[in-house]
Amino acid sequence: MKIMNCPLNGPRNISEFTYGGELKAMPDSATCSDIEWADYVFNSDNAAGVVTEWWMHTPSSYWFLAERHTVTDQIIRTFDPKEVFNQRVDFHANSTALKGVTA
Amino acid sequence: MSSSNRLPAPMGLLIDRDQALSFQFDGQSFSALGGDSIASALIANGRWLMSRSFKYHRPRGPLTLAGQDANTLVQLPSEPNVLADVTSVEAGMQVSAQNVSGSLDNDRDAYLGKFSKFMPVGFYYRSFYKPKGMWKVWEPIIRKKAGLGVLDLKFQPEYYDKQFLFVDLAVVGAGPAGLQAALTAANAGAKVLLVEEQSILGGSLTYARFDAEGVRADNLRQELIAAVEGHCNIQTLKRATCNAWFTDNYLPVIQGKRLYKVRAKQCLVASGSFDQPVIFRNNDLPGVMLTSAAQRLMKLYAVKPGKRAVVLTGNDDGYLAALDLHEQGVEVAALVDMRAQPADPQLLTLLQTCGITCHLSTTVFEALHEKGMRHVSGVDLRKITGQGQVASDSLTLGCDLLCMSGGYMPVYQLLCQAGGKLAYDDQLAEFTLSGLPEILRVSGSANGCHALDNVLADATNCALDIIAALGLNSDLGRAKVKPEAQVNFPWPIFAHPKGKDFVDFDEDLQVRDIINATKIGYRDVQLVKRFSTVGMGPSQGRHSALPTARLVAQSTQRNISETGVTTARPPFVAEKLAHVAGRGFDPYRQTPMHGRHLAAGAKMMPAGVWQRPAFYGNDTDREQCMQAEALNVHNKVGLIDVSTLGGLDVRGPDAAEFLNRIYTFAFLKQPVGRSRYALMTNEHGVVIDDGVCARFADNHFYVTATTSGVDRIYQQMLKWNAQWRLNVDVTNVTAALAAVNLAGPLSRKVLQKLCTDVDLSPEGFPYLGVRTGTVAGIPARLMRVGFVGELGFEIHVPARYGEYLWDVLMEAGEVEGIRPFGVETQRLLRLEKGHVIISQDTDGMTTPGEIDMTWAISRTKPFFVGKRSVEILEQQPQKRKLVGFTLEKGSRQPLEGHLVLDGSDISGNVSSCEYSETLGQIIGLAYAGANQGIPGSHLPIRVEGGEMVHATVVELPFFDPANQRQEL
Amino acid sequence: MNSLTAEDFKERSPLYAKHKGACLAPLAETVAVERFSETDEHSQLARCALVDLTNLARVGFRGTDSAEFLLSKGYHLPETPNHATLQDDGSMVARLSQTEYLLLGSLRDAGTRVSDLEAHWQLSEQANYLLPRQDSHAWLLLTGEHCAAVMAKLCGVDLRDGNFTQGAVAQTSAARINVIVINTHTTALPSFHILCDRASVSYFWDAVLDAMLEFGGKPAGIQALLD
Repeated sequence: MKIMNCPLNGPRNISEFTYGGELKAMPDSATCSDIEWADYVFNSDNAAGVVTEWWMHTPSSYWFLAERHTVTDQIIRTFDPKEVFNQRVDFHANSTALKGVTA
Repeated sequence: MSSSNRLPAPMGLLIDRDQALSFQFDGQSFSALGGDSIASALIANGRWLMSRSFKYHRPRGPLTLAGQDANTLVQLPSEPNVLADVTSVEAGMQVSAQNVSGSLDNDRDAYLGKFSKFMPVGFYYRSFYKPKGMWKVWEPIIRKKAGLGVLDLKFQPEYYDKQFLFVDLAVVGAGPAGLQAALTAANAGAKVLLVEEQSILGGSLTYARFDAEGVRADNLRQELIAAVEGHCNIQTLKRATCNAWFTDNYLPVIQGKRLYKVRAKQCLVASGSFDQPVIFRNNDLPGVMLTSAAQRLMKLYAVKPGKRAVVLTGNDDGYLAALDLHEQGVEVAALVDMRAQPADPQLLTLLQTCGITCHLSTTVFEALHEKGMRHVSGVDLRKITGQGQVASDSLTLGCDLLCMSGGYMPVYQLLCQAGGKLAYDDQLAEFTLSGLPEILRVSGSANGCHALDNVLADATNCALDIIAALGLNSDLGRAKVKPEAQVNFPWPIFAHPKGKDFVDFDEDLQVRDIINATKIGYRDVQLVKRFSTVGMGPSQGRHSALPTARLVAQSTQRNISETGVTTARPPFVAEKLAHVAGRGFDPYRQTPMHGRHLAAGAKMMPAGVWQRPAFYGNDTDREQCMQAEALNVHNKVGLIDVSTLGGLDVRGPDAAEFLNRIYTFAFLKQPVGRSRYALMTNEHGVVIDDGVCARFADNHFYVTATTSGVDRIYQQMLKWNAQWRLNVDVTNVTAALAAVNLAGPLSRKVLQKLCTDVDLSPEGFPYLGVRTGTVAGIPARLMRVGFVGELGFEIHVPARYGEYLWDVLMEAGEVEGIRPFGVETQRLLRLEKGHVIISQDTDGMTTPGEIDMTWAISRTKPFFVGKRSVEILEQQPQKRKLVGFTLEKGSRQPLEGHLVLDGSDISGNVSSCEYSETLGQIIGLAYAGANQGIPGSHLPIRVEGGEMVHATVVELPFFDPANQRQEL
Repeated sequence: MNSLTAEDFKERSPLYAKHKGACLAPLAETVAVERFSETDEHSQLARCALVDLTNLARVGFRGTDSAEFLLSKGYHLPETPNHATLQDDGSMVARLSQTEYLLLGSLRDAGTRVSDLEAHWQLSEQANYLLPRQDSHAWLLLTGEHCAAVMAKLCGVDLRDGNFTQGAVAQTSAARINVIVINTHTTALPSFHILCDRASVSYFWDAVLDAMLEFGGKPAGIQALLD
């Protein structure tokens, strides 16, 4: 069984973790087209290479991000989401604006 | 016991000569010594025939004596497929043969061998499927002939378990390499686990002879074992098998009834190599065995393997084995060397002085036998004239033991599972390995070192690498590995015109079967395997993989590196499902009131991992109990344990803003002291959960969630806020709060007896109000709810008081006729009110519009999860709708999942359906076509057995449409 | 043995039905098992024992202001997450994340210091949110020389001495449920505090006892812990 390094709890069996999908930027839901929105909701890149994914350490309910190579299954780095999401996100009537994440 | 078959000490490392015992084999009594395997005891009694081959029912005896072949599979009363050569014999043991028709000695199916010509490779695939339908005729006949052993269907499950084992270094195999490496690493401070398949340590040191003098191996063995067994840093598991290699050195090691889940920082595979057979006609006769098997018989069990032996070899080890046999009183009729000369020419002289004739550039072309093929009786020797070619002149010798040693195949299974790549060295006629992960190493003969000095040097060097990788230190210098003699004969395959030259003993596959498979067009070794079944038997290609690779390469004019060998997947040896299952952890959750439900005679049901009362009473009285409980709620007062209901505390300045984004409704302006329905959609706009959102303070909401959904929803909330970074705290308080719903027209009266610090009057505490106070002195959150359609109070208290709360409410309500009601009753009551249960009345596609929940969506807020998708979906025509339906009492009652039809098309399905005593009819919810939802119209439902019933679509709710009862 | 029963009290451990025949002793507002047998349980504790501490006070706090709050109440806090610090009065503070703390009451004051803290906390403008750990979690104490070996039959984290040192905290899974394991350093007695889902403790108690069987493990009471 694979071992993953949790930024909070250290190296643990992969069975202690829950996969949370690939990190992807949400388009501005107030202004984007239906096609852009559907692409965000339904499609994944499924890239062969290094991808950034959401993972949660289940016993502590701690979410973090992991860079993983989808071909070798090597986990390159795990880190706290604060590295990416470092400011409050607000939504406004005409624009979702201000996502803390870059696509 | 014919004691003449037992050799004097020091032969017999494993046996206890003072412990005589007897056991049964196929109804006959045999004697044995303590430490004997079933096979060694039988051979000591002169009994070689132990099984019949799978296909042709040919007589078979032990081949490896190391648990690596299928020839010794026998049946124990409660266990089939036991390996007789590694299973210790026990007093009174009842052993029998398997896969025989009649008896082992006179198998009625032995005639099948005569038909082998008519049962070519792929025979089954090609013969029984034409004409169409023929398989049905043949199948029962073939099924009867196929399969090994008999299951004991009265078998009682036994206690198996699992345990993690954490070590710095796991060493697989305790031969000279494993012992040396383990010791070196342990001396440097590493915590080492040593895993050994046999019951003693030493590996080849326990049976093989490494030099002419023949004393070094045993001295070294004793020296290494003394050091290893006393070492505080080494844990040894004997009779244990490392059955696989999984990522990051996760190693399942089976010992007895326990599966160790070993996690090693470093792993060393010192698994040794498999002695390889030579392929010639009748190479499967009892009495034809691997040279190492004959040595094991003598050295481990003190069993004399024969009176007159022929040793067929392709390396110098055969010469050394001949010396062993000679010294133990076995006449060696001939040493037959396939090579032109031994690597060490002195061996020739040495054997000659012992009176042993050596035939060079010679092979056994055929093993001879008496009628009945019970045992080898001689050999037909031929000069080798080319690759696989022999001269026509033959020399016949009599013998009752034929040892063969064609070379070695590294035990590469674990290494290949770890991604190791095999490459064939044409010069050495041997496989080499590369491409292992950094935390896995290989040493010893598995690494191509066969000379003892080289094995030790290689192991030391390997240990030094491991020590460095572990961050430890050692003073030792690197040892030098010297060039050594070749051990593999390049082509130990001598096809015979009359066949019976077996490549795979398990599957009765001959040379021509492999060749024919390639001729039919299967060039890939993996396809050859699947077509011919080579390597698919119990020994999993340990002896057939190498000759198969050679034959396929030759037949397809490629080299062996190109053809490769078949993939070796876990498990390495057969493992029991009991090992995989272990103790079987099956968690369940109970509410604080669990004991009270049992005492009240509840029929419990699972709700996810929770155990909940379905209703109170006998299983058989379900309908009666439910209706009585429901009526009691309608007429008096009922109490239901709703502790399993999900509960989340959402606190902080941004609590309202957070809920506003998570749920579809608006929460920013929700007044303190009030609750609001909360519906959740996912990003696809699909309804995934619902609950009640109670505001206890500006910065404190308490939201309920479905029992099965709360954990996932809690996690999603945390994930969203890891992105939004709102100033809010979300806590899952599901288990922390025990909760009941006190429901019925008399509920207020009951609660008033226990709760004095909250104004419970309709004005002071109206429908959908929430309060905090105390009930019987317990701090409580009170919520006016209407889920079951009657005046009701949900009371949520800290779990530690849950059982006490139940007790005091039951006591306080006694006069009012309180009785508990279960989940099934609650489902009936809410159905009467037309309330949906998320995940029962919704599926993975349900949108808010389909269940009439658009009223629960705020249109004015800028965002909620799923908002955009809901908007897009609402632009599209709705295909289906959840509708209420009724059927007359006594009609066929539809079950959940039954189909709703629109003409001949399926338009939906029933999601809930119950009989309601209160309403006197069957009521239900069903998805129906968008055009089928008009009240009064007929809804065709196909029920059990394909029968159609026609329900009537009605407005929801079924009961008390003005909500007068719950809003009292 | 004595006349106390768990049902005489409002606060009840979910395990009380499994404590049949045990001798109970008062513990703050409720009771705990004093001992399971007439014989002294010290040697059982030293070998392998499981104690139900579910009725002993504990509470959690989370938020950016929680550290300050606890410091103001006189608690010593661990410097990094997944470590626990023993307090002078025998209670313990475990840090579970950057901003989350778990307080375990001491048997010496029947947990009153911690239960008082819980009782007096009020939701305010401070980012210091109370977590109802006494109700969400059950609390077991696994003691004796075989602690780590018992856990190895339940849990995939290496809890052996040297790897899991005194004061170390592991939030992990054992017998397929979530647990918090704390290596206590209260006494010379090797022991782990184990906190698990309160609703699952009936299952977990049996699973741990089963794992303890081969080491001669048995349930024990709090009496021997107090001496």
